[in-house]
Amino acid sequence: MEPERDSSLVEILDRLLNKGAVLNADLIITVAGIPLIGLNLRAALASMETMLEYGVMEDWDRNSREQYARQEIKLKLLPGEEILLKTFGYLWQDEGVISNWVPGIWNITSQRIFLWLRSPGKILFEASLENLQVIRLQALTVEKWALELNFFEGSAQGSARISLSDMGEFEEALLRAGIVVAGARIDPIKPNQMATRARGSIRDSFALDRSIH
Amino acid sequence: MAQEARYIYSIAKIGTRVSLGEIGIEKTEVFTIPYKDIAAVVHSCQPQAYDTLDKAQAEEWVLAHSYVIDQAMKKFGSVLPFSFDVILKGEDSAILEWLGKNYSLLLQDLEKVKGKAEYTIQIYYDYDDLASRVLLRDAKLMDLKGQIERESRGKAYLLGKKLDQMVKALVSIEAGRLAAKSLTDIKSQVDELKIDGNRWTPDNYKGLSLLASYSCLVRDDMAARLGETLDEINCMEGFRVRFTGPWPAFSFVNCRELS
Repeated sequence: MEPERDSSLVEILDRLLNKGAVLNADLIITVAGIPLIGLNLRAALASMETMLEYGVMEDWDRNSREQYARQEIKLKLLPGEEILLKTFGYLWQDEGVISNWVPGIWNITSQRIFLWLRSPGKILFEASLENLQVIRLQALTVEKWALELNFFEGSAQGSARISLSDMGEFEEALLRAGIVVAGARIDPIKPNQMATRARGSIRDSFALDRSIH
Repeated sequence: MAQEARYIYSIAKIGTRVSLGEIGIEKTEVFTIPYKDIAAVVHSCQPQAYDTLDKAQAEEWVLAHSYVIDQAMKKFGSVLPFSFDVILKGEDSAILEWLGKNYSLLLQDLEKVKGKAEYTIQIYYDYDDLASRVLLRDAKLMDLKGQIERESRGKAYLLGKKLDQMVKALVSIEAGRLAAKSLTDIKSQVDELKIDGNRWTPDNYKGLSLLASYSCLVRDDMAARLGETLDEINCMEGFRVRFTGPWPAFSFVNCRELS
């Protein structure tokens, strides 16, 4: 049989990017002094072998972006409601099997306080500023402070534990909304003094934290 | 602005300075910088890597690189192909200095590939075809197959699984035997052989299983005989061979990391 001279793009790329002579690292630094491999270019071409998969991923990416964009505009404020503060923080959830700190954006408005999750675009916790009592709790770590929200609306009442990285601005915003935070400021405890369970939860929330940004 | 770096496409066996025209990346002029009887095939550029996140742009560059090497091979015979994006900082004099320092190594590699080219061989097999022939040949398996047809559904299912496993084992033994034999045959006709890690399968071979993939350094006058050997494999029922080349000896440059 005769050899074919036909070669796919995938094969050409494999040959030119993974084979052939190169200069060694010492030379790059001492003589050439420049990066020899276009890293971005390699990244752009890396998906060649899985072109189909890449196409699917593109669609997936576009869809998820569109979905995300739709969700972004879903946050509807009440008539006359004004946002006083938006800040990153957590809500302690211990319903169900797993207890953990759920990250989100805490919003203090002229009428309520709520935790907004940009994805999937929903309000996870919400309480009216009327009949709301806020108590300082022991700080969880040097960076993280916790507050307890006690609320009662009609016959319903409950409490929630929330955490913030910047307690000062949060309390200040609450004050502007007419809520005085009760309880003495307690110095943060050292991480190694924390209860095992709390430590685990914080690690979880940090992991979630990263995934959000 | 001075173009103070040289992008290297390949090293060729030529002792004169010639231009290959504006065939380089971004339509740059490609020329040779000779040192004694060898030369670097280059274009002048800025001392920075060609880099982009634009896939189409990246492909265009890589194809231009490939084209220049092909042209150099046509013009100068076997060359030492360079990987994409190898740039040496400095003017022609820097290339000369570098060629001088690595002259014996480069010459040795050039001699090795002289009058030779790289060919790729992929051997595919059709699992179903091989499985049905393995089955027909084995009386014990045929008995089992007959038994399955007579059994109740539940038992037939379990026996069917057992049959599949036995067939699979026999197919892999059969394919392995052929792979070993073909490797011996191919090796006797090539200068060097490397097992290729690239598992990519072209569209017209989809549905077949890859048995072996080799890159071979072959003497120009041996290519036809290698083709005949591969014909024998290709004619075997259930097997198909893909044979491509001649290519620049990308897999056989010893000076992969030149100093």
